[in-house]
Amino acid sequence: MRDVRNTVAEAQAIDWIVRQRDPAFTDWDGFADWLAENPRHSDVYDALAVLDQDLGALPSENAPSLAAHPAAPRRPSRRMWFGGAIAAALVAAVTLPSLDLFVDGSRIETAAGEHRTVRLADGSSIEINGTSVIMLDKDRPRFARLESGEAMFHVVHNDRDPFVVEAGPARIIDLGTAFNVVRGERQTSVAVSEGVVLYNPHRDKVRVAAGQAIDTRDGDVKPPNVRPVDIANVGGWRTGLLVYTDASLASVAEDLRRTAGMDVRVSPEAAGQSFRGALIIDKDRERTIADLAALSGTRVERRGSGWLLTR
Amino acid sequence: MTEASDRTDAAQGIEGVLLANRSRVVRFLEVRGAGDAAEDVFQDLWMRLTERPLGPIADPLPYIMRAANNLMLDRYRSARQSTLRDKAWSDTTAAQAPSAEHVLISRGQLALVERAIAATGERPALIFRRFRIDGVQQRDIASEVGVSLSTVEADLRKVYAAIAMVRRQFDA
Repeated sequence: MRDVRNTVAEAQAIDWIVRQRDPAFTDWDGFADWLAENPRHSDVYDALAVLDQDLGALPSENAPSLAAHPAAPRRPSRRMWFGGAIAAALVAAVTLPSLDLFVDGSRIETAAGEHRTVRLADGSSIEINGTSVIMLDKDRPRFARLESGEAMFHVVHNDRDPFVVEAGPARIIDLGTAFNVVRGERQTSVAVSEGVVLYNPHRDKVRVAAGQAIDTRDGDVKPPNVRPVDIANVGGWRTGLLVYTDASLASVAEDLRRTAGMDVRVSPEAAGQSFRGALIIDKDRERTIADLAALSGTRVERRGSGWLLTR
Repeated sequence: MTEASDRTDAAQGIEGVLLANRSRVVRFLEVRGAGDAAEDVFQDLWMRLTERPLGPIADPLPYIMRAANNLMLDRYRSARQSTLRDKAWSDTTAAQAPSAEHVLISRGQLALVERAIAATGERPALIFRRFRIDGVQQRDIASEVGVSLSTVEADLRKVYAAIAMVRRQFDA
């Protein structure tokens, strides 16, 4: 049991170490919260982070191996040549100090349940839901990329310089708008509450107007179908009201994790079940989960700090 | 949650930001392992951050938090160092060149770590090296290797988990 808990703490510490390697990392409060959860977390983190620092002594990809007996004999592969060429091209980046804090924060990542609003120089703003990653580019002020998660865009329209949002392979061009984008596992959904957006102008050219939405999967051949939505419910996560007309329980669970930081699992036989109804993110999370169970006809059990829904 | 008030004007200088966020930084140091010594560590941090002139910093609070985190890592490192030095049988540290005094890991251990990394597979090992040794951002690695960002993340987790396992043997 102790080992299991150690492994969980180690995995979490590793996630922090990896995230903190990004010079644009800013979630120190989230990190502090994790440390405060358990006094051992700080030790686990220290041991791994110091080791991680020491790994700087490992040879680079194209340098000879330190290991006396490598697991497999190294053959001079294309990969080695490739790595060398890139390493040469990256000399400037490699020689920067590892603590490069003078770059503009271009990557924004939110924790589960954390909501953030970013104001852009042109007056546009992006409201970011939890467990989401957004990339901004200071050289392209009218551009944002939603790596994963969900965000509501309020775009100040400019005919000559349209605002572009990327999500996976999809491009969404505003034509004067407020719209919500969800980027999930190889799928993207867009819902518009004001104005019009153009979806994949180079290929699909689908116009999505206020009160409409599309759901697409990466690699779809046909342009997506436009479906109607209630404008009042677009980006409902911001007000704590989630409305569904036909959603799988698994996707509702994902929304609850993102929006409220709730750890909701759905048993495999209930995951595909369709859900209709409105969920209020109550301060009392037990109430929200009880509503969801009642509305979906599932049973809810407490599991650690989260819940499990079963049929 | 990050409030707008965190964004103190850079012109105010690092002292101003340190003062304005004093309790927040002290709380961080407390949970970060400084405990009751958090106030002392804060003084140390203050000295370090103000002793040399810095150019304007775009986002001073994350800068301070990172510096605080690194300071705690330094403290952990020197504490570990003296424990290791006290263990007479620990010839691994004694055998190290003076220049490597701050490195806790021995050459032999580093070779073990390297083998563990190699054992995770060719792609994870390559991704780890590009990320950790060459300092390439995850997204750039993804396009370089031709996999998704989540694959890069998963591979990094895998390699770090393998490293964590090897590390446990060092402690044993």
